[in-house]
Amino acid sequence: MSSKTRSLLGSEPLRKAEMTIRLSEFEIPPMQDALLVGKQAPIGPEAVRSMVDALSPEQYEIIRIEHQVFEAAVLKRSLLKLLPKDKLLPILLEECERVADEHAVVKAQVNIVIQVNRAVDL
Amino acid sequence: MQTIGEIMTKELVTVKPEDSVARVAELMERTRIGGLPVVEGGRLVGIISSRDIRRCHPNRLIADAMTKEVVTVPPTCSLWEAKELLERHGIERLVVVDGDCPVGVVTKSLLYAELGKHIDALTGLQQAAFLQRKALELLQDGKEIAIIFLDLDDFGAVDKELGHVVGDEILCRVAKILGGVVEEGFDYLFRYAGDEFAVVTVKPLEEARKLALRMVNAISEEEWPLGIKVAASAGVAGGRRASPREGDLEPYTVSDLINMASLASTRAKKERRQVVVAGEIELREANCIQQCPETV
Repeated sequence: MSSKTRSLLGSEPLRKAEMTIRLSEFEIPPMQDALLVGKQAPIGPEAVRSMVDALSPEQYEIIRIEHQVFEAAVLKRSLLKLLPKDKLLPILLEECERVADEHAVVKAQVNIVIQVNRAVDL
Repeated sequence: MQTIGEIMTKELVTVKPEDSVARVAELMERTRIGGLPVVEGGRLVGIISSRDIRRCHPNRLIADAMTKEVVTVPPTCSLWEAKELLERHGIERLVVVDGDCPVGVVTKSLLYAELGKHIDALTGLQQAAFLQRKALELLQDGKEIAIIFLDLDDFGAVDKELGHVVGDEILCRVAKILGGVVEEGFDYLFRYAGDEFAVVTVKPLEEARKLALRMVNAISEEEWPLGIKVAASAGVAGGRRASPREGDLEPYTVSDLINMASLASTRAKKERRQVVVAGEIELREANCIQQCPETV
């Protein structure tokens, strides 16, 4: 065995650790205006309820639904002041079922702008 | 009458709504139990079955996987009521509750094994205990009933002269013959005891009398081996639910009705008539269930 081979075998490998830290603010709650829970999703409505109750008590409403993909919707109560849930929910379901299946939990940001035109007598 | 409380499994394995599906799946595998009551604060809040588990993501909470509408029974429920509930709901187990608190579980296999003890091993017919239950059930459905009590004539002589093996063969054949005469959904055939058979029917008394006559004739017209002559006598008694009236002192029971039919069959035998009709009585629904023979 040559002296070069011996030195390669005998040398200890170098081990280093590299660390990258990404910092960002944790969203409270970690959801936005609406959440749609798929029927086979890793979390169900009761788990969502526990999370929402713990992180944002009384700010969200959980609605169980009969739907082919989703089993529950979580809606921000303040949104429901702008638009009743019977108007909002069908639109959300229609749009979300295009992009998700029953294994998904979909979060949605909803912006509602209300336009009002009023006339007054001069 | 035997109750669910007497046969239920009292050592309960329960889970909590906040348990994970994965943990409960492992528990089911380890304990080899296919369905567990979900209990919160001592109260029954659901039931989780292996089928529920298979349909769910393992990360889910039991609260999100369990069936919330649990079919429950009190410990005082009869075995037959429990059987009907299991079959009506197509489920495998019933949770036994005392108020909201689970106190036991009864599985389909346990219940069927227990009910099997009320099946006559020789003829495959239900035994007398079930006759009482069926009669009461029909009365509760608002139906009028009639009991036919059929007794083989001098059957003791067959056993004595030809042996019990031949006697048993004849009893089996009689059960088959009678099974061919009765009408499914209207007449319910039982082996009452020894060489006695009984039918509870929803047919009117006159129709019941004709049925009894057909039963007796079917037996006597059969070609029996060894030239044996087998004949039977029958008694018929009819009953309907009593209308609520004040001043009824001694309401009749299903047991009274069976007894009337039995005595009528004895009279038929004595008077060498094929069928004797005892008459019709009004039955009080409450305390209809009385002590009845447990064994044949």
